[in-house]
Amino acid sequence: MKPLVIEQIVKQYGEKTAVSNLSFEVSEGEIYGLLGANGAGKTTTMRMILGLIMPDRGEIRYYGKPYGSEQLRMMGYLPEERGLYPKLKVSDQLIYLGQLRGMSRAEADRSLREWLKKFQIEEYYNRRVEELSKGNQQKIQFIAAVIHRPKILVMDEAFSGLDPVNVELLKSTVKELRDQGMCMVFSTHRMEHVEELCRNITILDRSRTVLQGSLREIKRKFPQERVVLATEGEVQGLDSLPGVRSVRRSETGYELTIEREEVAQDILRHAMAQAPVRRFELMEPTLNEIFIKTVGERNE
Amino acid sequence: MNSLWIVTAFTLRNKLRSKAFIWTTAILAVLLVVGANLPYFLERLNLTGSNEAKPVGYLEGAYPEIVQGLQAFYGRQDNPEIRLVGIASGGSAQADEAALRQAVEDELIKGFITFADRPETGFPEVIYHSSSLMDFSVAESLRIALEGVKAEMVFRNVQLSDAERALLAAPVAVHTLLISTGEDGGKTAAEQGIAIGLTYAIIILLFMAVTITGQLVATEITAEKSSRVMEILITSVKPLKQMFGKILGTFTAGVIQIALLVGVLVASLSMPHNRGALEALGIRLDAVEPKLLIFAVFFYLTGYFLYATLFAGIGSIVSRTEELGQALSPVMILSVVGFYIAIFGLQNPESPLVVIGSYIPFFTPFLMFERIGLTDVPVWEIALSIGILLASILLFGWLAAKIYRTGVLMYGKRPSIKELIRAMKAYKV
Repeated sequence: MKPLVIEQIVKQYGEKTAVSNLSFEVSEGEIYGLLGANGAGKTTTMRMILGLIMPDRGEIRYYGKPYGSEQLRMMGYLPEERGLYPKLKVSDQLIYLGQLRGMSRAEADRSLREWLKKFQIEEYYNRRVEELSKGNQQKIQFIAAVIHRPKILVMDEAFSGLDPVNVELLKSTVKELRDQGMCMVFSTHRMEHVEELCRNITILDRSRTVLQGSLREIKRKFPQERVVLATEGEVQGLDSLPGVRSVRRSETGYELTIEREEVAQDILRHAMAQAPVRRFELMEPTLNEIFIKTVGERNE
Repeated sequence: MNSLWIVTAFTLRNKLRSKAFIWTTAILAVLLVVGANLPYFLERLNLTGSNEAKPVGYLEGAYPEIVQGLQAFYGRQDNPEIRLVGIASGGSAQADEAALRQAVEDELIKGFITFADRPETGFPEVIYHSSSLMDFSVAESLRIALEGVKAEMVFRNVQLSDAERALLAAPVAVHTLLISTGEDGGKTAAEQGIAIGLTYAIIILLFMAVTITGQLVATEITAEKSSRVMEILITSVKPLKQMFGKILGTFTAGVIQIALLVGVLVASLSMPHNRGALEALGIRLDAVEPKLLIFAVFFYLTGYFLYATLFAGIGSIVSRTEELGQALSPVMILSVVGFYIAIFGLQNPESPLVVIGSYIPFFTPFLMFERIGLTDVPVWEIALSIGILLASILLFGWLAAKIYRTGVLMYGKRPSIKELIRAMKAYKV
């Protein structure tokens, strides 16, 4: 049974529709990407998953059951804006949060120590949050979301504002949790994180679902229109080849956009005739390009 | 463990450990110890200083009969308030005046009396020239003495028995006794004084406890919201439990603080050296009616919960601590109005303002308590006002919970009532 099934949910704030007819499912051990520009309905969707607000229509099921206090305990939440008690000790507040999610004091304490050890910040057990660096505060925030070993984890704008080292650390932790079977819903603006972590995604645009499905399928649907070419010497006349839309010189070679995939072969032959080719690649569209294409163009 | 108790315990623990709480309690305790010992210190000061008779000057030779009468009057007293000092006349009116003023400047006398002829009555007008504006007690003492002197002058030629003379000299005493329709008889003046003093003290305590702890609840909720811990909390525990846990925890901290302070006060009042001083002021701890104390505790409880739910609701809709003061002001004004009606009512506990106000739930804790303390209130009136109070606690608790549920999700600008109602409908709370 799927941990999280969202079926045709609708949410309206007065006249304004925040989410319309959104459906998706998340399996165990899967990270689901929820993408969209600001105001597209991501936060509202997450709030509905967390049970903070109820959908006007449609249904959300957790392991086949509707929302209840039982579900509250199996969920973890990493909010977009970091929130901890600045004046309290790390141990005090995390044990409190663990207790609120149904752990005993001792269990919460044990779990907290394990996590601190994992992130190699055991010395912060008795420190006040305001004394910690931003990166360490975010590790604490992450522990706050997972201390009670939730089955469903909701991450709003995870990894935003983190330095690259900490991003890698949290990313690998998230992957570990995924491999242990945790079900995660993940929203971000950083497309490269989605490409790395998510199997299935939904792109929302002003409350509507504009793209949905597995990342691979989606990419396959979008034509491969970009060619990267690097050669030993100069290559003349690339822009006069039929089907080439634009040519841009880069530090290492050329970047071309083409109308059809077959044109790529013509480019390769054309280049090989003039100079040895070091690199030739027909690029998959990046998620960033797909996102801008589906959402950005509409917004213009 | 139930999450309500987890929130309560967490709130209480943090409160008790916070520096602000520890310092306020310590400072208040010191103030109470000083205050409780103040009568004793004042008495000690009195023994050495101001209990002496105040020297009041007069011009030698002016109205000798009256001056002699005054001297005889004060001479009969064991502990006279005034001692008359003769100042030699300078010959002319100006010189007399100058001599008297000089004596005041030399601190021989505190003030002086002069006489102005009043032929129509035959008794002169006496003017007391005081060196300080607030010397009412001297003037009052002089007035009583002069009444006696005048009476003696009038009755000098009349044959009176000693008993009649004593009757003439004795001051008239007026005591007030509270009429009670119950069976327990009236309250004596001393009991009444204690009742007023106690009611006054408890109303101040009630007001402070309700508003200070109530505001703490609001401040904490807004702080949780502005630090965004709220988002994690509301995904961990039901907002209702969270709100009432917060109210209960802060309440327990408040009760502990009050218990500590009352303990300090009672301990220092029952020190042996204080007993005499308090009795001299007419304060006896054992004269405090237990019924009044029970009502005080009850109205503290109900008043706190009524205001705390309002404060919690308001705290939940404000996103930034800086905006909280302004948002709380309507409720603050409400409590201050109740408090001031109660202070006004100390003199007129029967006034319609107090009686009507005692049924308005926001004022009931102050005003009904005052009426019970100072007047005789029929049982049904007490029951009715308490019923209204309890019903409104339920009503406002329910309303505050709804506002809280909505408010904690709303960030940014403080919502108007219209926006809040719209959001409540949208969130389906």
